[in-house]
Amino acid sequence: MSSRGPMRLGKNYPHPPSQQQQPQQQQQQPPSQFYQPTAPYPAAANNYAGDFGMPQPQIPPSYGGDFNVPQPPPAPSHNAFFSPQTAFYAPPSQQQMPSNQAMPGVEYLSNNPLFNVGLNVVEQGMKDFTGKTVNMLPNEMKKSISSIKYYFAVDQAYVFKKLCLLLFPFRPRNWSLGYSADEPVPPRVDTNAPDYYIPLMSAITYVLVAGLVLGTQDRFTPEQLGMHASSVLVWNIIEICVLCFTFYIFNVQSKLRTLDLIAYCGYKYVGMIAALSSYLLTHSLFVYRCSLLYVSLSLSYFLVKCLRLQILPDTGGSQPYGSNGNKRRIYLLLLVVILQPFFIWYLTRHLIVD
Amino acid sequence: MGFSFYSVIEAALLCINAVAILNEQRLLSRFGESGNQYTTGYADEFHQTGGAKQQLLTLIRSVRTVMRVPLIAFNIVTILFLVLFG
Repeated sequence: MSSRGPMRLGKNYPHPPSQQQQPQQQQQQPPSQFYQPTAPYPAAANNYAGDFGMPQPQIPPSYGGDFNVPQPPPAPSHNAFFSPQTAFYAPPSQQQMPSNQAMPGVEYLSNNPLFNVGLNVVEQGMKDFTGKTVNMLPNEMKKSISSIKYYFAVDQAYVFKKLCLLLFPFRPRNWSLGYSADEPVPPRVDTNAPDYYIPLMSAITYVLVAGLVLGTQDRFTPEQLGMHASSVLVWNIIEICVLCFTFYIFNVQSKLRTLDLIAYCGYKYVGMIAALSSYLLTHSLFVYRCSLLYVSLSLSYFLVKCLRLQILPDTGGSQPYGSNGNKRRIYLLLLVVILQPFFIWYLTRHLIVD
Repeated sequence: MGFSFYSVIEAALLCINAVAILNEQRLLSRFGESGNQYTTGYADEFHQTGGAKQQLLTLIRSVRTVMRVPLIAFNIVTILFLVLFG
């Protein structure tokens, strides 16, 4: 029943009829991940700190799309210390508004009380439905859902900061990830944490911008959109498979999980959008190539800074710096970093005509 | 660029078929391994390149063991699809 540190995935979801948590936390086999955690941590008996998907019964879900039976909205918990669950949901200031917990960022719609009533009814219906379907899933998928939910715990400030960071990472700053109770902190709190929102949205935006570029060249058909979307998916899959395979072959045990790697590989779509937009605005090949170069440079710098802390071992001074384990990790880091500009170039070059 | 999702599935199926068809004896004699080294390659960070080879061989062996039976089913299904739907 040992739960491992950074890779500890969530516990069982409670069944909606029984409100109390399952007292017996059986150990599920973890989904096949390529990276083993560095050291196993002793299991805490009732430790729910790592369970991002299962809220404390007091905290109302405020980010939309929670799978539990809706609890009556209680007073928000004022934890003296920081815990990942409270940070996972909206900060307490937002929880004080009682009629405002349907979706984040839609506060302006709450002026009309009837609309709110309708929204709440729909939300309750959806939660019942999703609660039933989710509880039919096997335990493995519930764990995956809870661990993926971690990556979607973002807010607007985080997205803005991250986008600025992706386009200009050259300022001196602290790149280390924040941890709380041996769990990585959700992205809402820590700007350095990886997320899935930006890669997903930027991939979709890339497909749309590619359609736009094709439209300006009179080459657009609706099938092109589908083709671009499927090739985005396929190239992502290929890239992740190649990287995971390389990690496995070189036997590199690092703190980097597969899910984190997927997030870091998804950040290149922001650069692609920037390069394509610059081409769209100016229709000049020179501007496109300059922006391609700049975007590649900044993305490489960003990835080196982020991944260096996760792939390379902590320099405890026990090993000499040029030993083989370190060399492999450095090569692996370079591989990850060099693949990204290559993909940026390859996925945009067919859209550019002289 | 015209990648569809089906081509990924097809490529993966062909690769796994290739791994399943391998002849272990010839592979090992080509690699120069003795074939019965079940050493724990993962714990040793100072290993030169033997670790990579060991990992590769372990991967190949485990893929063959795991995918032997499901591969038959996948192949039959794929053949049926291709015959029926072109």
